[in-house]
Amino acid sequence: MKVVVCVKNAVDELELTGSVNGKLQNPQTKMSIFDRNALEEAIRIKEKTGALVVALSLGDETAKKTVKEAMAMGADRGVLIQCDPTELDTLTTSYYLARFIQQENAELTLCSEGSSDTYSGQIGPMIAEWANQPFVGYARKIELNESGVRCEQAYEDRVDVSETKFPAVISVVSEINEPRYTTLLQIMQASKRTTESIPLQNLGGSEAPQTQVRVLDLTAQSMNRKKVLFEGEVDVAVGKLMEALRSEQVINV
Amino acid sequence: MTVLAYSEDPGLASEVYAGATEIAKQLGSEALSIYLDANTAPNSTAGKAVVLKSDRQLSGHPDLSLEAISEYALQRKPSAVLIGGTRFGRQLASQLAVRMRVGVLSDVRCLKVENGKLRGVRQVYAGKYSAEVVAPLPCVAVIPAGAYEKNVGTPSVETVTVGRASEKISHVETKPKGKVTVDIKNASIIVSAGRGFRNKEDLVLLDELAKKLNGAVGCSRPLSSDLGWLGEEHHIGLTGARVHPDLYLAVGISGQLQHVAGIKDSKIIVAVNKDKQAPIFQVADYGIVGDLYQVIPALLKHLG
Repeated sequence: MKVVVCVKNAVDELELTGSVNGKLQNPQTKMSIFDRNALEEAIRIKEKTGALVVALSLGDETAKKTVKEAMAMGADRGVLIQCDPTELDTLTTSYYLARFIQQENAELTLCSEGSSDTYSGQIGPMIAEWANQPFVGYARKIELNESGVRCEQAYEDRVDVSETKFPAVISVVSEINEPRYTTLLQIMQASKRTTESIPLQNLGGSEAPQTQVRVLDLTAQSMNRKKVLFEGEVDVAVGKLMEALRSEQVINV
Repeated sequence: MTVLAYSEDPGLASEVYAGATEIAKQLGSEALSIYLDANTAPNSTAGKAVVLKSDRQLSGHPDLSLEAISEYALQRKPSAVLIGGTRFGRQLASQLAVRMRVGVLSDVRCLKVENGKLRGVRQVYAGKYSAEVVAPLPCVAVIPAGAYEKNVGTPSVETVTVGRASEKISHVETKPKGKVTVDIKNASIIVSAGRGFRNKEDLVLLDELAKKLNGAVGCSRPLSSDLGWLGEEHHIGLTGARVHPDLYLAVGISGQLQHVAGIKDSKIIVAVNKDKQAPIFQVADYGIVGDLYQVIPALLKHLG
């Protein structure tokens, strides 16, 4: 069995500071934090069934780091679809990922519910549509059987238990597992392995869509909060807080 | 040309419909709400609505809901489709967009039509930045809770029968997520717990406070995920609920970006933390630097 895990070379939101003049200039990147859960789940499937795990990313040279990290964690192969990711939106990104997945005849595709930088939650369900495969969203538990999977899907108000046959695309929520740490040795070993690079245009085709969504402007969000701190004797501090909340009219006791 | 609106969450449906009405006005067209199944009369949106029905129940089943809505949308050729930003909504919007071969604007507010394009504002990078995004019409837009004032009413209804959908996923069973008693998305007061609580039993303190304030209980991700002290429905943050109460009281929450992303739209944020350097104080209106085990009892006393 072949399992493809989509890993995004996401903008590192922790490293971003201040004004950006409408556009990020060479931001620091890292593997999208929620993708670690998808990768962990794929590696657990590999440990149980001997499946081959392919880590798949899309982006520029900096994304190789994310692919290698996935290999260090336990992916057997690392593949990068090469492009300028700022030229693509979710519709086009998912199309190229799906083309690769179909070429590889992967039984299972795993991704996270959304990325830690833009969190649109669109890539998984879009891949499934492009590849004409079933999509199982927000899985918090995955059980494999001979011909498919049984999943618990965590929606806001309920958990759906559903079954589907391979090939399928599943997105996972982060409570599904605790991702493993990679050792220094694993990282060093992975750095010596080669990643496979595929130019984007090699995956084209007659159906290839055009990028629809563009970012026109990007501005730093200031949290314009009052930041009034009450310190010292607890009872006095709480008294002052109560007074403030009453004058804000958010409590009426 | 119409602007279609859908959410399986009735409260959110009223807001999404309000957004659709605004866009329709700008386009000189009309907004139309979509409902699934004919078993209850639509009552969460005003104006006009269409009820899609089939020989099976569509709602509650992601696959069948998608098939019905996409069949209708592909035939209706709307100028835009607005979908409420729930977990199922995101999934639906994405799959529908591929079928329509159009773009999706994610979690957008303040939508405007401009030169045949739809423009909106969304938060990115865990809420550190806001982005102006645009897509040519037709397109799909995912609308977060709280973006529009509810437009509640009883619409005039047309019923449309859609074809029998083929299922790719078979639904085995639905389990309720424990007792779901919180409605944090619509709560006007939320008290929320973080790692500052030493153990699960201590959460009774927070419960008492919530009761006294007539508020809902929320938490940061570790409590619902790693520790499992509270159900997932209490989780507030980027991957949980994004809330917009009048008062948000963060108790023992350090203020990680992912949590803050979920509380930005609160009117007043209050933080209680013993660490003066905790990032939560940077995003709070009022803060008490102190031990929550002393602060909560004091709050309870003052509340009478």
